[in-house]
Amino acid sequence: MTPRAAMRTTLRAAAEFLAWWTGLAVLWLILISAVGPLELAVGATVAALGALAARAARRAVTGR
Amino acid sequence: MNGWILAATVALGAGAGATLWGVATGPLRRRVVAQNLSTALACLVLLLLAQGYDRPSYVDLALVLALLGPVGTLVFARLLADDLAEDPPRAWGPTYLVVGAGAAVVTALCVATGPSRASAKLLVVGALLIGGNVVASRALSGGFSGLRRG
Repeated sequence: MTPRAAMRTTLRAAAEFLAWWTGLAVLWLILISAVGPLELAVGATVAALGALAARAARRAVTGR
Repeated sequence: MNGWILAATVALGAGAGATLWGVATGPLRRRVVAQNLSTALACLVLLLLAQGYDRPSYVDLALVLALLGPVGTLVFARLLADDLAEDPPRAWGPTYLVVGAGAAVVTALCVATGPSRASAKLLVVGALLIGGNVVASRALSGGFSGLRRG
């Protein structure tokens, strides 16, 4: 794999992670009852974990 | 007693009676469809009751049911796949009726709530309810039978 292709793969992975993270964080914000700093921190963390799992699941299903 | 609770009572009385009759009698293809519609109907009733009793946190019950109802139907679709393949259900009329009722109820609740995080939550529940029901109905009628992998 050329450096350029590797760079492109990394960028695509980062963009997909960010897209999942944004969606999951917004869902968290909608579903919690009271918005506070602690809730935001916990939400950002679990959204990151969820985004990793979502990307892994998507890759497992599509095989890429 | 207010309009929301009245609407919930009517939906529960008429809809649950009809779906109970459908689940308890008739051929398999009608029973699975009635089971699927009963969860969607219960979800709608929970939404209406949450508004009627002015307890927004009760919406969580509808959220859980909107998520787990179609999942339960998918389990039935999988377990009964062989029987359903011989005699597949064709019940898009009732499905779209419940989908339309769901859209109407969620719209009315959003108007009553006003633009806020609570109405966004209602929209999420509505999307899960409608999307889940369409997917579950399609699975019951064999729409995904060719989809074994990926």
